[in-house]
Amino acid sequence: MLSIKNLTASINGTPVLKGIDLEIKAGEIHAIMGPNGSGKSTLGKVLAGHPAYEVTGGEVLFEGQNLFEMDADARARAGLFMGFQHPIEVPGVSNASFLRLAYNKKAEAEGRDELDPLEFDDFIREKIKLVSMREEFLDRSLNEGFSGGEKKRNEILQMAVLEPKLAILDELDSGLDIDALRVLGDAVNKLQRADRALLIITHFPRILETIQPQFVHVLSGGRILKSSGKELAVELEERGYDWVLEEAAAGGAR
Amino acid sequence: MTLAATSNLVAELLAGPRPAEWGELREAAETRLAGRDLPTTRDEDWKYTDLKALAGLSFAPAPKATVDISGHLLPEMVGTRQVFVNGHHAPHASCASAVPAGVRFFPMSHASEACHALGSVPNGKSAGLFEDLNTARFQDGAVILVPKNMKVALPLHLLFITQANAPVAVFPRVLVVLERGSELELVEEHHGSGTYLTCPVVEIHVAEGAILRHERVQRDDAEAFHLGTLKAEVAKGGQYHSRTLSFGARLSRQQPWVRLAEGAEASLDGLALLEGQQVADTHSFMHHTEPNASSHQLHKCIVDGKARAVFNGRVRVAPLAQGTDAKQQSRNLLLSESARVDTKPQLEIYADDVKCSHGATVGALDPEELFYLQSRGLNADDARNLLTYGFAADVLTHVPVASLRRALRQLVMARTQAGSLGDLS
Repeated sequence: MLSIKNLTASINGTPVLKGIDLEIKAGEIHAIMGPNGSGKSTLGKVLAGHPAYEVTGGEVLFEGQNLFEMDADARARAGLFMGFQHPIEVPGVSNASFLRLAYNKKAEAEGRDELDPLEFDDFIREKIKLVSMREEFLDRSLNEGFSGGEKKRNEILQMAVLEPKLAILDELDSGLDIDALRVLGDAVNKLQRADRALLIITHFPRILETIQPQFVHVLSGGRILKSSGKELAVELEERGYDWVLEEAAAGGAR
Repeated sequence: MTLAATSNLVAELLAGPRPAEWGELREAAETRLAGRDLPTTRDEDWKYTDLKALAGLSFAPAPKATVDISGHLLPEMVGTRQVFVNGHHAPHASCASAVPAGVRFFPMSHASEACHALGSVPNGKSAGLFEDLNTARFQDGAVILVPKNMKVALPLHLLFITQANAPVAVFPRVLVVLERGSELELVEEHHGSGTYLTCPVVEIHVAEGAILRHERVQRDDAEAFHLGTLKAEVAKGGQYHSRTLSFGARLSRQQPWVRLAEGAEASLDGLALLEGQQVADTHSFMHHTEPNASSHQLHKCIVDGKARAVFNGRVRVAPLAQGTDAKQQSRNLLLSESARVDTKPQLEIYADDVKCSHGATVGALDPEELFYLQSRGLNADDARNLLTYGFAADVLTHVPVASLRRALRQLVMARTQAGSLGDLS
């Protein structure tokens, strides 16, 4: 589904990604972990098409298509979704009308029927149950005045509405209490299917207890230093990141 | 020798006959106007707003006219409206049958004895030339009196319509008196067609513990000049909340002055949507004279084309006004390279135990916000239009009259090209 080959990227001329290789197949859940400033959020933003980052080399194919030939919105309509670490507040635009707009843009791109406000109302009432969101949040302005946790709930609601093929979730657990984390983790699990994939970007292994990855990658200094199964997350929980960095340095491959 | 472009507009506007009522008031205004000319950009108060285009024109007194108001009716306010056309009361277009007993809502020309409060909002120095011109020459206006403790359920609707086949000058006048503990919602709208000068003056008395919510919509013709004055006196524990929405006029200036007594609350919110060569200027004055009053201002402008927005937000906290809480925000969105905004807070604080904050932003849309919307599948144009719409619609969220809110949202949608995005309400 997603094939990343020797990806390098920079921001304001400073290299941040220094050669990333990663293969994600349908049905898989991958986790990217790493210390702060390792470049893991950058990877998510580059894949989603953030304009501040410049791709300086390498290739990314999404469902066989060159990702970098598509604008951010085209990537979204093609089935890529990024759940933001810090979702943006948009005053004056109701959450419900934004969700409907996003849904209809994707439906239009896929040649499906668009939903009118009444039809969408029924549709969204089902979806908010999945993330245990109260209805009043639909009428409020998009993310405006939402707590950190409510914003994350809204991100997963958007994911449930758009049903992406590949969802990249950047630090989903930040700002969430244990109960909310479990609700959202369960929601993400329910949305995962054999023809979809997940890329979880996280500093803390906690979230991986609910959303269990088959593959865990440690990213540091803009490179993937280690890839392994989900047991790596447990080890990182116990030992932190330093040993991986030391091991990589001792390997001296670079 | 003077290099200022001189006009004889003031003298010309005063040349007509002085209406009979309120002779002393008018005489005093005429005395203040004697020898005065239009302000120029050399006056500090008019530094950014050039009246040259106005100075070159000539305006006749506006004749009586009839207009079709069906497009301006709002279902929540059937039977609570007074309509003025070209400054004259329009009895056939007005309908006050649903106004509750006890509330007085009528044209000034019908009841001069009830208007003893006219001209009595204390305002330090005069709000200026355009207020005086109004006082000297207004034909008619609306009086609203709400008795003690009455909470008026239906909003009252004031429609000022100008129909100018040739350039005319109109001077709409409004006096609102809320007695102790009363509450009212008032919608004031200005519409028109043709080239005209309108200089409305609104005077407001909010007595102890009374609450006035005031929606003001300016949709004058793109060739019109709108130079408005609003003066509100808010007594102890009273509240005055207004929202001024400016869409029309070639050049508009709003001068809201609010004076707050102890524990009073006031908000002056504003939205201006400007395009082409439009100019919209707001010079507000929030005057905290006594302790523990709070005020709030959110002023937003969206400026496109070669249009220009001016905001000068003066806040004065008198030495006695300890415990004042004053917030002011001026936020401006520039949609083109030739658009321009001049925004300036002007804080004069003479008390020490106060909370005063102000902020001003001028800029284009935030790339992070654009990216967020694009990452959800909206193309760049749709994302821009949606953010622009949201920037403006934010000010409309709390407009209390549903049909008005809907109409304003549609207007904003049309003006921000967000119409193609479907129903966003």
